[in-house]
Amino acid sequence: MLGGFYASVALGLTLVFGLLNIVNIAHPAFVVLGSFLVYAANAQWGVDPIAMGVILTPLFFLLGMATYSVYHASFEKRDNESLRGLAFFFGLMFIIEVGLILQYGVDYRLVNAPYIGKVINLGSVTLPLRMLVPFCVALVMALGIFLFLSRTYLGRAIRAVAQDQLALQLVAADPVRIKRIAFGIAIATACVAGALLIVINPVEPAAGRVYIGRIFAIVVLGGMGSVRGTVAAAIVLGIVESVTSTIYSPSWAPAVAFGFLLFALAVRPAGLLRR
Amino acid sequence: MANSLHIENVVAGYGAARVLDGVSISVSAGETVGLLGTNGNGKSTLIKCIMGMVQPTAGTIRVEDDGRSVDLVGQTPEQVVESGIVLVPEGRRLFPDLTVGENMMLGAYRRTARADVERNRALCFDAFPVLKERQNQLAGSMSGGEQQMLAIARALMSSPKILIVDEPSVGLAPILVGRMMTKIKELKDQYGLTVLMAEQNFHQASRIVDRAYVIVGGRIAFEGKSAEELRNNELVKQYYLGGEA
Repeated sequence: MLGGFYASVALGLTLVFGLLNIVNIAHPAFVVLGSFLVYAANAQWGVDPIAMGVILTPLFFLLGMATYSVYHASFEKRDNESLRGLAFFFGLMFIIEVGLILQYGVDYRLVNAPYIGKVINLGSVTLPLRMLVPFCVALVMALGIFLFLSRTYLGRAIRAVAQDQLALQLVAADPVRIKRIAFGIAIATACVAGALLIVINPVEPAAGRVYIGRIFAIVVLGGMGSVRGTVAAAIVLGIVESVTSTIYSPSWAPAVAFGFLLFALAVRPAGLLRR
Repeated sequence: MANSLHIENVVAGYGAARVLDGVSISVSAGETVGLLGTNGNGKSTLIKCIMGMVQPTAGTIRVEDDGRSVDLVGQTPEQVVESGIVLVPEGRRLFPDLTVGENMMLGAYRRTARADVERNRALCFDAFPVLKERQNQLAGSMSGGEQQMLAIARALMSSPKILIVDEPSVGLAPILVGRMMTKIKELKDQYGLTVLMAEQNFHQASRIVDRAYVIVGGRIAFEGKSAEELRNNELVKQYYLGGEA
């Protein structure tokens, strides 16, 4: 169940890191930003958190396009992408975090929705709806992104852009525009992921940091740029972590998760599912 | 569709190195024109100028499209392709991690080509049945000859008004070069394409071109009005057919 949420966060990073080769370590910070905007709407007007997450996607799409434009103009165009680009996203992460702290303080925030707190019983298994609903939403989003990438002209161009930019120009597609749109879509998915995060757990401004390592691990494990692989890796990692925290203790969960990543990469260096 | 390409006095280079020194060529509608020359004489640079990948420092490049004249100088490659001039690039430049089918569909990215995507796909599969068989295989896993077919198919998916082919023989076994030339001619005859082909393999290229320019040191050294005239030219003999240097 946790895997569904991981998948929703990792999806955006799969687009940006897996397909565009941009190391956006601020991605989880965008997720948390999404969480807080959803929280604000929920606290103020009682709007359903997931609906709010979806409503906010156009805003995040524009935010993502703007972020990419700045990144492109200041780093990518001058071939400074790797290290200084990383610093750029690191700075962006801090700006988002500090901005949230100034606005909302460092306390944990949570939302109210009819399905939070309810459970359904399937035989001996109890499923809390606050886990099940995000899981389903994440899968629907992943399916949407998968179909978009495989069935549309724009989606195929996004998958091609890191492979050969000149060849893309020769089929009449502008690579910078394609990347800008892809980045916008990735940040839009972060907004939905943020809504899912605050449904699952209370959120504080620096909550994104906990996930950075895990999310990058999922993208790598998923085969860098494969939506199916990302979802599979996220679910597997979620299961491994849940089992570990039930059997041993929750503090072991990240260690076992990373051990699993190392093991998986040793056995299948190209990721769980190859592209 | 009356489309023709007119290049006049184009000068271009990289930094201080002048590669093209006043080149003028023209390609009329329905023609197959060869641009022949050995490596380093400016064939690829001229093609890059046409495609907007290199900007010439002087001269004009125009395309006549149903009576309208469009200036290509200063346009980006995307804009040149959008206007109907499609390149099969040297080295093929496929997307290796996408499937054959996906590579072809990317060819149809061009706005005006999207309406004809089904017709063009059928046409390409008809011309290259092997691509149909291998639709779901990754482009990077195919042989050189198959990749060249895919590169041509991807260009045809763009519904080109003028097709430019840069060095189709590079990296192919000699027997495949001949087949590739025959195929280009077949496609041209069947669909009434206008073709400009840069090639260093004189023998093979002269089989299919209507006429050709020989480019030496950044200038057009000779213009052959027919394949016959090309073969009998002293300069060509000297450069290609083992005459005295």
